[in-house]
Amino acid sequence: METSFAITGKGYVLVASDTTAARSIVKMKTDEDKIKVISPHLLMAYSGEPGDTIQFAEYVERNLRLFHIRNNYALRPSAAASWIRRSLAQSLRSRKPYSVNLMLGGFDVTTDTPHLYWVDYLGTMTEVPFGAHGYGAYFGLSLLDRYHNPEATLEEGIETLKRCINEVSKRLVVSPEKYKVKVVDKDGTREIEL
Amino acid sequence: MATVSVYSSPGFDFSNLTRNHFLAEKGLPLPKATSTGTTIVGCVFEDGIILGADTRATEGPIVADKNCEKIHYITESIRCCGAGTAADTEFVTNLISSNMEMHALTHGRKPRVVTAMTMLKQYLFQYQGHVGAALVLGGVDSTGPNLFTIAPHGSTDKLPYVTMGSGSLAAMAVFESNWRANMSRADALQLVKDAISAGIFNDLGSGSNVDACIITANNTEMLRNVEMPNERVQKERTYLFPKGTTAWKKEDIRKLVLTEEVTPLAVEAMDTT
Amino acid sequence: MSIMEYNGGSVVAMVGKDCVAIASDLRLGNQALGISSNFQKIFPVTDRIFLGLPGLATDVTTLRETFRFRVNMYTIKEEREIEPETFAHLVSSTLYEPTGGFRPFIAATDLIGCLNFAKDFVVAGTASTKLYGTAEGLWEPDLDPEQLFETISQTMLNAVDRDAYSGWGVVVHVIEKDKVTTRTLKGRMD
Repeated sequence: METSFAITGKGYVLVASDTTAARSIVKMKTDEDKIKVISPHLLMAYSGEPGDTIQFAEYVERNLRLFHIRNNYALRPSAAASWIRRSLAQSLRSRKPYSVNLMLGGFDVTTDTPHLYWVDYLGTMTEVPFGAHGYGAYFGLSLLDRYHNPEATLEEGIETLKRCINEVSKRLVVSPEKYKVKVVDKDGTREIEL
Repeated sequence: MATVSVYSSPGFDFSNLTRNHFLAEKGLPLPKATSTGTTIVGCVFEDGIILGADTRATEGPIVADKNCEKIHYITESIRCCGAGTAADTEFVTNLISSNMEMHALTHGRKPRVVTAMTMLKQYLFQYQGHVGAALVLGGVDSTGPNLFTIAPHGSTDKLPYVTMGSGSLAAMAVFESNWRANMSRADALQLVKDAISAGIFNDLGSGSNVDACIITANNTEMLRNVEMPNERVQKERTYLFPKGTTAWKKEDIRKLVLTEEVTPLAVEAMDTT
Repeated sequence: MSIMEYNGGSVVAMVGKDCVAIASDLRLGNQALGISSNFQKIFPVTDRIFLGLPGLATDVTTLRETFRFRVNMYTIKEEREIEPETFAHLVSSTLYEPTGGFRPFIAATDLIGCLNFAKDFVVAGTASTKLYGTAEGLWEPDLDPEQLFETISQTMLNAVDRDAYSGWGVVVHVIEKDKVTTRTLKGRMD
């Protein structure tokens, strides 16, 4: 089943998402990238109804890009998150709402601080030091309560993330096999091989 | 809600309806709207109308407010008691009160009780019972005293004595046994107090105090808490915690009055040479 | 499980002598799974008006944005700060407008406004039934700001300990004529 994690550390946010694309009981694909880089310092991991996820992620990506082109600066993570949340909340009042859950990891270059937002399909949003979506959340969150350190270096953060992934692989019946991990910090976004 | 504006368009906005429908399909049913168990009554006496109400507001089995006001203002000489969905009675009487004032200003004379009754029944009928207001409307106008009940679906009755709400049966029993035509003001007030008291003590949805409103041709008297048969006794002891009991992690004091200290610098004497 | 219990959370407000206090828990949950222990449900509207909004978290945020917008428009149009009673009516009519979107709310409170709405205290949220009990037992008239802080804090802490969907810390605001004191309390994490 779909699982995504994200944790903040000293000057960075790590975002991890599984790479399976499933339909019913069948795995269609195991190398799907479900973390979008939506602006120079903002990552968005998305999960939920197939179709809705891509449509919504691209909608967000294009609108943030449009803002960037028009104004010559990108929205800060908090502003982008607010806009994305509002889009979901408004969609919830339409005939067919988007069924998409998000983890938004960003680095605010004006204050040099990492930010992580947990957003669900209802438009619920909260800033968190670490968060997770999917069945993996039931294992990952308790583990992160114990091991998360907001002052951890990137190496330590990756170690903590690996603990989460290993725990899910070990205990979850329908665990995903592969994850993609991205990080956002003052230098922008990049992918990390575990 | 979907498009927020300070200039909201008139009437209801149904955008939440689709949202709530979607949520209900996901297995999140809507909470029941607060509906108040109530006893409200009205009766005609020799020079006018007396309205009565209890003061308990409930949320299911919980008493939400022990002393609320259920006799609403329509005009100076017309008042309306509300039972049913709390928000609906509040808003519907407010709306009609506003419309009656406009009506009075347009026509330059005091509006009649039937006018308020017609406005209320047409509004309630339009919403087919979804606006859950059960009302007792009373007042005195150029035609004399008038008393009506209005049910949530918009049907009305014109009677010399009426009761509504969950305590209506208890109150009606009192009216049926003791009401007489052309009662004096004192007798009628006592009868209304007895009817509401019957509701307060025999109906679980009603309770606390009695409110009454006496409307005559040239005077309206609102008797708030005219009877208080359920006053809370003094607590036998206080349960105050010593200061410093609650530990806190973070404190932030925001001063609303800005103080500014002015330090006068050594003033050089004026050169007067 | 209705939408009122989906995310959990509770708010209580109390009147004291020349002061009022409003407190909420800090939990945001996904039914039984706790997501955040720093989800604010009380929002400053003006210097002296605080609005507590327990309920479905997406609506809490949307409403907060709506009220901020409407209050700003009011301030610009009227060229003065909104009064608590006016704001309470704004809240009331906003919540009434969308059919079926009701949510219990605590009337916006300030020094004088609150006295008109409730003589003692108001409660809302998943722990409301428990809050009625604790508040009824502990509250008394004419508490000074420090006493009111103790009373509302103990009312909240003990009520949310009996509610599975509220807790994870408490925040208390005590509003006086000349200052607002905000304190974060430690709560049980279970």
